[in-house]
Amino acid sequence: MRSIVLQHMIDNKDHYIEQWRVSFDQLLFSRSESTIKPQYIQDEMKDEFVSVIFDTLTMDRHSRRAVVKRFVERLIHDGWIVSEFIMSLQKLRRIVMKDLSKHYDKDKFVDLSSELEDWLDEQITDLTTEFAKNHEEVKAIQKVALKELSAPLIPVFDKIVVMPLIGTIDTKRASQIMENLLEGIIEHRAQVVLIDITGVPLVDTMVAHHIIRASEAVRLVGAECLLVGIRPEIAQTIVNLGIDLGNFTTKSTLKKGVETALQMTHRDIITNEEPVTGGGLK
Amino acid sequence: MSNHSCIEIANEWGIVSARQAGRELSKDIGFGSVDQARITTAISELARNIYLYTEIGKIDLEEISDNHRNGKARGIKVVASDKGPGIENLRDVMVDGFTTSGGLGAGLPGVKRLMDEFDIESIPGEGTTITTIKWLR
Amino acid sequence: MRIPILKLGRYLLISVQVELDDQTALQFQEDLLNKIHQEGSLGVVIDLTSVDMIDSFIAKVIGDVVEMSSLMGAKVVLTGIQPAVAITLIDMGVSLQEVQTALDLEQGLERLQQELGG
Repeated sequence: MRSIVLQHMIDNKDHYIEQWRVSFDQLLFSRSESTIKPQYIQDEMKDEFVSVIFDTLTMDRHSRRAVVKRFVERLIHDGWIVSEFIMSLQKLRRIVMKDLSKHYDKDKFVDLSSELEDWLDEQITDLTTEFAKNHEEVKAIQKVALKELSAPLIPVFDKIVVMPLIGTIDTKRASQIMENLLEGIIEHRAQVVLIDITGVPLVDTMVAHHIIRASEAVRLVGAECLLVGIRPEIAQTIVNLGIDLGNFTTKSTLKKGVETALQMTHRDIITNEEPVTGGGLK
Repeated sequence: MSNHSCIEIANEWGIVSARQAGRELSKDIGFGSVDQARITTAISELARNIYLYTEIGKIDLEEISDNHRNGKARGIKVVASDKGPGIENLRDVMVDGFTTSGGLGAGLPGVKRLMDEFDIESIPGEGTTITTIKWLR
Repeated sequence: MRIPILKLGRYLLISVQVELDDQTALQFQEDLLNKIHQEGSLGVVIDLTSVDMIDSFIAKVIGDVVEMSSLMGAKVVLTGIQPAVAITLIDMGVSLQEVQTALDLEQGLERLQQELGG
């Protein structure tokens, strides 16, 4: 059986839609990745939200969820911010409450307002649940994508490999990196591995800890680690945080690191005097 | 009951059979080589504690699944229990470098780091039960 | 069970091919030190390629044997530690800091040769 409030809202649908739509005028829906908010897109979104809420009044919970799901998928795809939609639902609550208080006596009003609360709670729950679920899915997909580009190992010379690190390093990624690193060292029979942190935006104690752990593991399997690509601001944070990289050989650039790695494997870059062959490696 | 086994630790050989059983089971569940090594090592530490400090105890290995963690998660549960003297200073044994046996003192805190979940219950005079879980990711 | 120790000139070579239980590890420690004494060896390579687990006890035995050998004048290089084993050791906070390592037997011997000057 449908509740009195819902029936009341269905009966006065046009009235409420109009009222609610007016209250929207002070409200601006926004999108996370865009500052451009043309009026027609706003209007379109508001209309759609209104129709989602009012069309689903007559539906059972199951089919309503399907509609909400489709709507939320669109919200996420276009980057709309869900909290503003929930806020607008609260505006609707105020409007309906006000009307109810006019039409019904006090005792009845208490019953009805709790019915309205229940309905609104359900709406908000469905909206946020779908939103959260969808977000989890997106996150899972992104995680896989991230893992794929996580940490390539590039052999540059005999016995020397480079691992460029790009992006933020969390614990999970760090252990992935460590595994790739060690497996790669064995595969390429590397003696020196250069870890290039040029692309790491921030080195805090946590990241430093992961790098130190990785270098200790590298030493255990029988190779050595060089840390390269230390930008000035990274050097500053390392010292300011009191992170001890004393056991580490560090170089500012990958180029210097490669030179050092060659020395460590008893090789040298020489420039050939003869113009025919040009520079070369010996 | 193929994915549940119980190994009695009454002597040194118990340590070896416990970790062999652990490696088998973790391989069956689908853990990668690194996690297999982690699990085996943790079992070895737990079994050695039983051997060193108590007369007799056992290691229970079990495949588990949990429906609460984002749908379906599988893992291995390792329970080490003994009827030994118990541990009076639970806080101390979880500190790196604390040792009463002349080892590295990496035992229990090491196990905690190797596994995902770690719980220890001990009643002085009655015994100790350590429960650890590693989830398959 | 005993782990065989091979002699190669001034060096000793050990390839651990068995599951290391406590007794075997301790027996190995004793055998190696006796062999160093007997042969006057200058270097030792212990290859751990086939070892799939090192717990804190075995790590301690290995660390000790390296230190003891060095007291007797023999340099020890550990080779072939598997990635999974290395990660597990680091997880436990065991980094065997004083120990020399190399990728495999061949590089281990090279390393000894470099350090002992030919």
